[in-house]
Amino acid sequence: MATASKTIPVKVLFFGRLKEIVGRPEDSFELAEGVSIEDVFASLGVTHPELAAYRSSVVASRNQEFAAWTTPLRAGDEVAFLPPVSGG
Amino acid sequence: MPRTQPTEDLFQMIREPIDASALIAHVRGAGDGAVVTFDGCVRNQSHGRRTLYLDYEAYESMALTKIREIASAIHEKFAVHRVAIAHRLGRLEIGETSVFIAVSAAHRPAAFDACRFAIDTLKRTVPIWKKEYFEDGAVWADGELPAAPPDTPLAKPAS
Repeated sequence: MATASKTIPVKVLFFGRLKEIVGRPEDSFELAEGVSIEDVFASLGVTHPELAAYRSSVVASRNQEFAAWTTPLRAGDEVAFLPPVSGG
Repeated sequence: MPRTQPTEDLFQMIREPIDASALIAHVRGAGDGAVVTFDGCVRNQSHGRRTLYLDYEAYESMALTKIREIASAIHEKFAVHRVAIAHRLGRLEIGETSVFIAVSAAHRPAAFDACRFAIDTLKRTVPIWKKEYFEDGAVWADGELPAAPPDTPLAKPAS
């Protein structure tokens, strides 16, 4: 468990429909040490309740690699929430 | 089998029209007997609705990383010479090329297989999204959810 109130800076990126819901392409947060990607998505859902409906159709990345939702974050990480991809 | 140096492959995420002939020229070498290409272009309808245009966006840095991984996998799996993959971003009109792939090889089976692998993998794993604009609105195209590592409920932060 994180002790005291140490925080870490994390950059969060949004794409496609998620970017439209959140209203911006990226944001920076100071998060409690040890929080997971899931925690970040859940906390965004507090201000943007519509996000919850997309949870099962979103994949997350950490530092440009697909990542499990349980991945703990570290200082300086870049997290992104990615809707189903439709390139080509 | 001699391995291609990574610098000999070519990857582009661009907002200008894709120069297909330049990509073909890039991959074609004296030892090649085949160049197979895939030209993905903007169709004029989607599920029976007339499409006006498409708008593509990408997580550009990650998309380039994933495209490089596709090329690396191709060199592992198939006896090919060079790979060139270009994807366009921004607004595209009907008929324009959104993605172009060129693969060269000494013999055609490897080039065909690698080119098919490249576009199929790109559509499943590369973070690019297209929004389709119709006369009465716009929608994000149905896509595929890339596979991610499984969640590990007991995972603890590395100390």
